[in-house]
Amino acid sequence: MRKLRTSDRMRELMGHYYMQGHQAEFNAWITSGAPVELLYAMDIYPVYPENHGALIGATKLGGYYSEFSEKRGFSRDLCSYARCDIGCVFAGTSPIGGLPKPTFLFACNNICNTVVKWYEVLSRIFKVPLFVLDMPFVRKELKESHLRYVEEQLYDFIDFSEKITGKSLEDSRLKDVISKSLEGVRLYSECLRTAKNRPSPMTCFDAFVNMAPIVCLRGTEHAVSFYTEMKEELEERVRNGISAIENEEIRLLWDNIPVWYRLRWFGEFFERRNACLVADTYTNAWTGFGELKKDDIISSMAEVYTLSYLNIGMDMTAEIINRLIEIYEVDGVVMHSNRSCKPYSFGQYEIQKKLSVPAVIIEADMVDERVFSEAQVVTRLEAFLEML
Amino acid sequence: MKVGYLCTFTPKELIHSAGFLPYRVFATERPINLASAYIQSYSCSQARGALECALHEDFYAFVFTRCCDTLMRLTDIFEFAGKKVYNIEFPTKLGNLEYYVRELRDFVKVLEEWGGEVTYERVIESLRLYRELEKKLKRLFEFSPDYKTAIEVQQIDVRDAIKLVDEKIKSAKEEKEKPKVLITGSVCPYPKVYEIFREAGFSVKDDLCTGSRFSEYSYPDFEPEDLDSALRFIAEKYLRKSPCPTKHYENDRRFEYVLKLAEDCDAVVFLLVKFCDPHFFDYPQLRERLEGIGKKVALIELEFPVVSLEQIRTRVEALREVIE
Repeated sequence: MRKLRTSDRMRELMGHYYMQGHQAEFNAWITSGAPVELLYAMDIYPVYPENHGALIGATKLGGYYSEFSEKRGFSRDLCSYARCDIGCVFAGTSPIGGLPKPTFLFACNNICNTVVKWYEVLSRIFKVPLFVLDMPFVRKELKESHLRYVEEQLYDFIDFSEKITGKSLEDSRLKDVISKSLEGVRLYSECLRTAKNRPSPMTCFDAFVNMAPIVCLRGTEHAVSFYTEMKEELEERVRNGISAIENEEIRLLWDNIPVWYRLRWFGEFFERRNACLVADTYTNAWTGFGELKKDDIISSMAEVYTLSYLNIGMDMTAEIINRLIEIYEVDGVVMHSNRSCKPYSFGQYEIQKKLSVPAVIIEADMVDERVFSEAQVVTRLEAFLEML
Repeated sequence: MKVGYLCTFTPKELIHSAGFLPYRVFATERPINLASAYIQSYSCSQARGALECALHEDFYAFVFTRCCDTLMRLTDIFEFAGKKVYNIEFPTKLGNLEYYVRELRDFVKVLEEWGGEVTYERVIESLRLYRELEKKLKRLFEFSPDYKTAIEVQQIDVRDAIKLVDEKIKSAKEEKEKPKVLITGSVCPYPKVYEIFREAGFSVKDDLCTGSRFSEYSYPDFEPEDLDSALRFIAEKYLRKSPCPTKHYENDRRFEYVLKLAEDCDAVVFLLVKFCDPHFFDYPQLRERLEGIGKKVALIELEFPVVSLEQIRTRVEALREVIE
């Protein structure tokens, strides 16, 4: 696999991001699908335990940190992001020296209801306030009633944050953050879309490694400049006919959160078989935030965030995957049945049958390397690739 | 015609008033077999067992409420399996009454599409009947918790359920003074499991939705005057229902509720269904709080159908010995 130069820049950027967290006057621990723009507009530093979990997974320390929470009674069947992150709190450290203590917690259940429980646990440990942004599940259609419910809560959240920080949310500031957010998401989406080229200049593993800025720094200049640079590099590859893998014969789509501790292993496994995972549903989920409206921020925020990828019914999910299959012209789909993520994984058996290309389901966990069964995964994937 | 539901936050009064039989779907004694083709093995066996039941038995439709991640996806999965379904978006964060009234209005429309007729008079009658059932069940549980009955009444017509509970009250005897155990968890639809506790010498109290949580409400104090205010009454009744870990409450109301229930108990048993995330997230910190007030605590993990009663018996007997 040809490594992207921007990946080094990403490490630098994220290192800086984590360091800054320790110096911030106010910081909020926030879930990955929550409207972070509100925090940036109020100078509240966002801290992402999920990103932290991914980082721990990538350093192959998922099992190690999980044990700290398991020893305290947290079941091994619970989400491994949560187990790891809570484990780091008990351990008092992590691969990046732990996260800064939160001023408050902000959990939005548009990705799962697990985050509500996880953040309740954190709220009891840190004895800090927790704001739950409750987004109804959109199984078939988005109802006006649901939007009103979410919109009211967004205003409640602004009040809540203003009370804690003593600062008020300025319209002009919010507009500025939204502009940057939209610009960042646009550039990020364009980066992902370069994978439409044959051969593709990037793999989904490049997308996974470089997704942290769109999650954590969305709404800031950092994300804008980072994805500008990444896009330039990818376009340069396209111009010069440089492919991400040596010999791209089969194009595939990945579904679900990556197996963080096996990124390289999967990458090499597929490359050896001339298969390129050109795109994935996980990193693509953040492209949806490009629909925010600058003139009607709060109500469009309610709509865009309620329709987040994991908060919609199976028919819509299958439709989105089929669209990705078309855009990226893939030959097959690899579905990661992820023990840690029930909302992402339950329904895969049904979605698989609604897809326009063949799909294979492999069982693993995103962070907990102790449950990974290499032989089983290899057997399934080899049979699948042969069939293709 | 049976309309199946899984969660006690389902407004069964409305289903009943529309002329359907609200039928709570549980895992049964049937081994989980067909359901495995629809959902992964790391979903809880209540979800898989209920799906198995749905695939074998006759239902008109199923009503889901947003509770946990599994139930959220299960609606679509049931639909994919050819079932008629509807999901009510019960709020995760309790408080916004207006929002839930709107959800109930939408649900009434669905019941009408299903051929039901929902009128003010019929809703009031269903509300009255369920309230009577809840009151009588509470009375029965005050004498001596009867889980077989508590489970049975969730699957028969409410009028028959009231008669059944009446009969049970007549023959109920107050339990003798014995060490008391609080059983906390989600569902356990197998009466024989509760018998183990009694056989080990405990008197039993519970915080389960196959037990007390089915009938534990604080009712709003107004008389509904029309259909819309009846919906408001139902919304309020369910928002004020005994707290469940799948919901987010102000001031940790759920923990405080369990701690209060445990006050007159000697021991607390977490009877949890494997893979039940909401309960397992609460467990360590709630356990710590319970131990902090001097309770002996044990965790028993279940998978449905329960095959090894003897393992449970060993754990319960060990707990009983510790108390002595």
